[in-house]
Amino acid sequence: MARDLAIDLGTANTLVYMKGRGIVLNEPSVIALNRQTGEVLATGREAWQMIGRTPGYIVAVRPLRGGAITDFEITERMIRLLLQRVGVSRFTRPKVVICVPSAITEVERRAVTDAARRAGAADANLIEQPMAAAIGADLPIDEPVGNMVIDIGGGTSETAVISLGGIVALEAVRVGSFDIDAAIQNYIRREHGIAVGERTAEEIKMAIGSADPTPQESQAEVRGRDLMTGLPKTVILTPEEIRYAIEDVVSSIVASVVRCLSKAPPELSQDFLVRGMYLVGGGGLLRGLAARIERETEVPVRMSNVPLEAVVLGAGHVIEHYDALKGMFMGARR
Amino acid sequence: MTTILVIVLTVAVLAAIAVSITRYRRSRDGVDSFRRQIDALSPEARRPVVDQVQSAAEANDASSADDEEDDDDDGT
Repeated sequence: MARDLAIDLGTANTLVYMKGRGIVLNEPSVIALNRQTGEVLATGREAWQMIGRTPGYIVAVRPLRGGAITDFEITERMIRLLLQRVGVSRFTRPKVVICVPSAITEVERRAVTDAARRAGAADANLIEQPMAAAIGADLPIDEPVGNMVIDIGGGTSETAVISLGGIVALEAVRVGSFDIDAAIQNYIRREHGIAVGERTAEEIKMAIGSADPTPQESQAEVRGRDLMTGLPKTVILTPEEIRYAIEDVVSSIVASVVRCLSKAPPELSQDFLVRGMYLVGGGGLLRGLAARIERETEVPVRMSNVPLEAVVLGAGHVIEHYDALKGMFMGARR
Repeated sequence: MTTILVIVLTVAVLAAIAVSITRYRRSRDGVDSFRRQIDALSPEARRPVVDQVQSAAEANDASSADDEEDDDDDGT
């Protein structure tokens, strides 16, 4: 008998929760293929290490962008391999709950469920990421009080107000931490004339990136390829430069939080001043982001103690109580 | 004629009763499923997930401590 699964199919990472066992897989959403034969060479962490370092015949790709499937066939193969790795076979077909951005279109929704069914799921249902995040972050969403969750992922940022097990207000933008990496890459290319890869840009973000000035800031030495000479070159970057480079992306995330707050009913709005907003997702780990949102909204911002796992843990809870919570699936309430 | 009228009236009454019972059951189903959903989201029901949260948080802390120890040297 197959154990049912919850999957957080993120732009950056894919996490799998198995009923009764907890999180059994946590890997980057990357797949490496032989360009000529179409054969899968690696998935997950192994494929991630190949990004930007492959010979011509190998391509390492992220099949999801902005929370949406950009390549249906590759996504299906990636899901099939992930399911195989957690023990799903032709004879054990589990029920699967998949977390997706709330703003995905009907076509994208069908693409995800079809991919999961073809990959071996007996039944595939979708749940909105902010709802799963709120459950996983242990917010009291069963009570008639305003709970606000901000989920900043690799490709999307979503803010939701949740009360009595339902979404009251929602705001989503297709901007996430990958856009921050891209902004850093563009800035270095434009201002310093060197090209750096997306992994290096991510490392710069993690080393000195911030959304607001923070204590004990330091500079970073960055190596890349000089665009004029083609030779390797080293430059020194400051935190101020990175803040300037990522300002547009950060502003758009903060603006979406403000828009969500303005959509919330007044009775729930007052709850936020006391209870605060909860930040989840890998993008929420950007230094100074909580302080920046707090400064601009004048509402306390708290970090979930499991920002990276909150979504899959929430979906895992749904799979543990499948019959009672199936009304929360996307489409079930409409 | 009277017989037909009685039959039609009986069928109509039975149909009305069947519809009202179905509606009542549906409304009860709605209430029950909402109650079940809220119960399944209660802190008691979420205890196992909360335990998962705590163990994941501990794992996060342990891995970040490891990362600090062996600081990487690529790119930056």
